[in-house]
Amino acid sequence: MTLAPASTAATRSIRERLLRRGQGRSAADRAILILHDVTKTYPNGKTALRDVDLVIPEGDFVFLVGPSGAGKSTIIKLLIRDEVATSGQVVLDGLDLAKLPRRAVPKVRRKIGIVFQDFKLLPTKSVWENVAFALEVTGSPRRKIRPAVDRVLALVGLTAQRAQIPSQLSGGEQQRTAIARALVHDPRLIIADEPTGNLDPLISWEIIQLLLRINELGVTVMMATHDADVVTALRKRVVALEEGRVIRDEVGGAYHRAD
Amino acid sequence: MIGFVVFSLRRAWQGFWRNALMSLAATATMVLMLLLLAGFWIIQTGLLSALDFTESKVQVQVNMNVDTSPEAITALGETIKALPGVAGVTLVTREEALARFQQNMKDLGREDLSKYLDKNPFPASYEIKLTDPSYAAPVAAALQPNLNPAVHNVLDTKETAKNVKTVTDIMRTAGSVILVVIGVIVLFIIINTIRLAVVARSEEIEIMRLVGASDAFIRWPFVFEGAMVGLLGAAITLGGLALLADPIGGFMVDFFRVLPLSFGSLARDLVLIVTSAGLGLGVLGSWLSVRTYLIR
Repeated sequence: MTLAPASTAATRSIRERLLRRGQGRSAADRAILILHDVTKTYPNGKTALRDVDLVIPEGDFVFLVGPSGAGKSTIIKLLIRDEVATSGQVVLDGLDLAKLPRRAVPKVRRKIGIVFQDFKLLPTKSVWENVAFALEVTGSPRRKIRPAVDRVLALVGLTAQRAQIPSQLSGGEQQRTAIARALVHDPRLIIADEPTGNLDPLISWEIIQLLLRINELGVTVMMATHDADVVTALRKRVVALEEGRVIRDEVGGAYHRAD
Repeated sequence: MIGFVVFSLRRAWQGFWRNALMSLAATATMVLMLLLLAGFWIIQTGLLSALDFTESKVQVQVNMNVDTSPEAITALGETIKALPGVAGVTLVTREEALARFQQNMKDLGREDLSKYLDKNPFPASYEIKLTDPSYAAPVAAALQPNLNPAVHNVLDTKETAKNVKTVTDIMRTAGSVILVVIGVIVLFIIINTIRLAVVARSEEIEIMRLVGASDAFIRWPFVFEGAMVGLLGAAITLGGLALLADPIGGFMVDFFRVLPLSFGSLARDLVLIVTSAGLGLGVLGSWLSVRTYLIR
């Protein structure tokens, strides 16, 4: 099955219906994320995204592919509201991020878990402390932190390594720690930005398997990647970006366009 | 709320010691700046009390005619006391005036010329202390010879009074301006030092932002850390000043001589100024440094 290009009337009507549902926050099958005609121009004049339309239903697993500078990081920045779209709408879980008051931004970020290529773990804290940190700094009471951290560490399989610090871990274990930290808030959406970029192929597959398992638990996963083998093998939905535009959006797609 | 405060204080404490070298550098800068501030304050206080002392010296001297009767002298004294702005009146009799002259000559090592005189040439006089130098002109005007037959002349101190007052006013204004300028410079240096400590932890701040920490959770640990730097700096500065108190006090007594300096109030002012400046600069410095990392 292939989603038609963004401009057709059919897609537009589906998108608008989903947009309305998202805002009404009623339907069970609503979209977790909607980008509607989003354009982002940075203050230096560089346009990173042009008229991007993207609807991601709850529970989806989406690969975001494209060369460096295609606009993947800008989409991620828009989602965590580090940047605001120049025009168009970014709706996350029914909330229009442009209309969000500044104070509400941290709460929206807790709906998203982010995983980076370079893990971004605190080197002086143990695995357990790194994961607990995400809850501590958002003001969770201590009695809730312990069970939540234990639960996600069990999920990613790091219960035995809980007391070790990042430098004592393998790359795969470090990335699993980062995934555990992203999960500890019970996010609706996991954004993985090149999560396997620093890992060898075998370990990469471990990480992908973990993300797939998390997706099966009902968490939407959006993964930006250059890893053609992974994308092609999994046959999930693929959104390809080039020069700020969505040039391809197909379910069951490969990394490269099938010509 | 209590959880938040405990969290922030704990993180501030950890942050201070995790980056001990940077924290100590910030504290050392703080101490230097506070010493500069305190030193300037001490000098300013000394100068101002010197000026106050000079101001209090401004007085009016009324010389009477040599042949004025004791009754007329007493009457003139009563008239002077009744004038507005008069703080006190001292009668210098003719004999006292002669004795002063002789003492002066002896102190200066000169020959006492008065022994060649067959009678005391000095008039009796009143030395009038004023409550404020600005009364010098009206008091002098009210005692002119044409109004009081007993008066021979009034010593003109109007100009002196005016000059002293001008100098005092300039000193006070200039002192306040310099104090403010030093304060601003100190603030910039402190901000820069604390910014270094904040930048060293920018990775941690980024993670906090990404996992959805609110501004307060990001900001307050740093503000408390800044307060720690400020208070520690103030404590070290005050400790140093306490050790130096005796030599400084001795120097000030030597330098300003018989000034009615009250060291008790100076010490109290210094504790207050150094502590509040340290705390304020530390808090303001971190507040401004961490601002760039908050949600835009």
